[in-house]
Amino acid sequence: MKWNSIRTRLIAIVVLSQTILAAGLLLTGIYYTQWRLLSTLDASMQARAMSVAALVRYTEDDSGNVYFDNTLMPASIDPAHPDLFAIWTENSGLLAHSPNWPQGLNIAPQGKNHWRFKWAHVHYRGLRVFQTPILDREEGNNFHPQTLTVFYAAPLIQLDQQVKAAGVYIAAWSLLLLCATVLLAIWGIRRGLLPLQTLADQAALVSTSNWQLHLAKDQEQVEELRPLIESMKTMLSRLERSFAQQKEFIGNAAHELKTPLTVVKSTLQSLSQKPRSAEEYRSGLEQSLEDLQRLEQLLQWMLRLARAEQWAHGALRRDLPVVDVTSTCEDAVERVRPLAQERGVAIQLAKDGQLPRKADPEDLQLVWTNLLENAIRYGVGSPSIEMTVSRVDGRIARIAVQDFGPGIAPEELPHIFERFYRGDPSRNRATGGYGLGLAIVKALVEAYGGTIIAESSPGTGTRITVDLPIDQAQSSQ
Amino acid sequence: MRILIVEDEGRLAENIARSLRESAGYAVDIATDGEDGLFMAESNEYDAILLDLMLPHVNGLELLSQMRKRGKRTPVLVVTARDDKESVVSLLNAGADDYVTKPFDLGELLARTKALIRRGKGQPSPVLSIGDLELNTVNRTVLRGGHAVVLTAMEYRVLEYLLHRPRAVISKTELLEHLYDYNWEKFSNVIEVYISGLRRKLDQGRSKPLIHTIRGHGYMLQD
Repeated sequence: MKWNSIRTRLIAIVVLSQTILAAGLLLTGIYYTQWRLLSTLDASMQARAMSVAALVRYTEDDSGNVYFDNTLMPASIDPAHPDLFAIWTENSGLLAHSPNWPQGLNIAPQGKNHWRFKWAHVHYRGLRVFQTPILDREEGNNFHPQTLTVFYAAPLIQLDQQVKAAGVYIAAWSLLLLCATVLLAIWGIRRGLLPLQTLADQAALVSTSNWQLHLAKDQEQVEELRPLIESMKTMLSRLERSFAQQKEFIGNAAHELKTPLTVVKSTLQSLSQKPRSAEEYRSGLEQSLEDLQRLEQLLQWMLRLARAEQWAHGALRRDLPVVDVTSTCEDAVERVRPLAQERGVAIQLAKDGQLPRKADPEDLQLVWTNLLENAIRYGVGSPSIEMTVSRVDGRIARIAVQDFGPGIAPEELPHIFERFYRGDPSRNRATGGYGLGLAIVKALVEAYGGTIIAESSPGTGTRITVDLPIDQAQSSQ
Repeated sequence: MRILIVEDEGRLAENIARSLRESAGYAVDIATDGEDGLFMAESNEYDAILLDLMLPHVNGLELLSQMRKRGKRTPVLVVTARDDKESVVSLLNAGADDYVTKPFDLGELLARTKALIRRGKGQPSPVLSIGDLELNTVNRTVLRGGHAVVLTAMEYRVLEYLLHRPRAVISKTELLEHLYDYNWEKFSNVIEVYISGLRRKLDQGRSKPLIHTIRGHGYMLQD
């Protein structure tokens, strides 16, 4: 039995409930039959007790004595197990009893008028009638009439057999119906679960080259499956998107890595194609060296990005020292100052006390230097760059880098954190960017549980805001 | 032969161009982005185009399909960093004739370019011939009646172009278009100088000349 199968479970529930139903029906049937038969028996016993009581007569004298006229005794219904009876008179006690009357029979258990007892291995039903008047009336008698107490018992053999037969009959039909309903249920459940099977078959067809879940219209309308289908579709489209992004990243990475490699290779091959002058060799080697350095730098960026993204997925180191976010900003400003001076840009830093949190200071500095360098490089014509460090709600460090350059076009803004995204590729390659800086920044910020947003409007400049949670326990010290 | 290289990595483009010029004697133009590439491919007659896929402005695949949509039949050799089946299939389906993956070998690139040019002009063999004239495009030698003929670089280029399309009339303008790159001033009388040089070296003292002048139209090679 596979208990992890819905079908098995449903069938088990159906079988169980049907069995309970059948058992209940059987019990009710038996109980009802017994009750009906008993009430019929009781009525007939009452009548028989009365007819026995009618055999009690007064004597011919005026004494008011009675006798039992057994010449008119009716024959027993079941000769093998004749009925039992006994009659008491008011005055003289036990008047008469059947020949098989058991001596010492307790005839009044718990004061009931009907009861069941067993005698000589036979079940009987007993009946007691009080104060039955004597039917015999002597005309003109002046004595006080007596009343009788009649006890009557009939064997229950026949009744028990009838009840048993009814029980067997009901049980047989219940079993038959049980089998029929279980078979029907199995068929129904099998049919009912068919959409699930189809869904599974269709889901099995989904692959990296086919992200579509093809389902018939009526399939999709199955109420119970709709939420599942909906969430599967959303999941698939998310997967497809991230798969496409991953593929694009690999394509971009291959291009970015292979191109400088190809340049070096082609330079060296072209040098060796025919004898060259010493000057040609020297410049070729210098170029190759330069290209290799660029390749090395790119590799470092990519590894840094990979590491940051790995951290962002929960692999952040735990043994980090507590550092002051503000001082990492100060260090970053010092680091980019030469570049800023070269471009004639002033950097203003607004601080707001110490903002401690656990972090690798190198990571934070990398984030700030990247943001500042971007502001210097792409905020062309911006006279100054403002870096604002502030505390929000006491538990968040907000670091904003603002330039007053040409800004970013609205259609480019959503993409600037994407890997290898370059707004204007030719320009950015000329400025030495790989389109990885902001992707690394975002991955690092997210690795530290922070958020990053970029706001820009063409002509007024760009503002990038980083929110980092800070350690409250540490900051209150 | 005149080749267009569309490649945004300037140094790589220069290296390829140098190799094509030195080892095959081709005229080479360079476009550093897709937009320029598309413009140049459409406004000039090239014998082959070397196309990088990742380009600024208009990417390689887009350039290729636009070029093909506008009826340009120039053979295109795609230079790509990706060698997965899917992207190779998609670029061949977009109308590319062949591809090399980075980092490629300059020798292989050269051989593929030559093969592409031959195929584009219906010449399967790397040895082109008419009558008893033979030109080997691999080692760039010329034989007439079994004897080696020494040509200047420009004479070789003119003869190579004419031999790719034997028995066809080729105008001076067409020769100029295909023998010089973008940066050269084009004077039609230089063609006459090369033709007369070729005539002197190939046809002088032979009963059957190979180079014929069709007045008002151009030149033709016929045995």
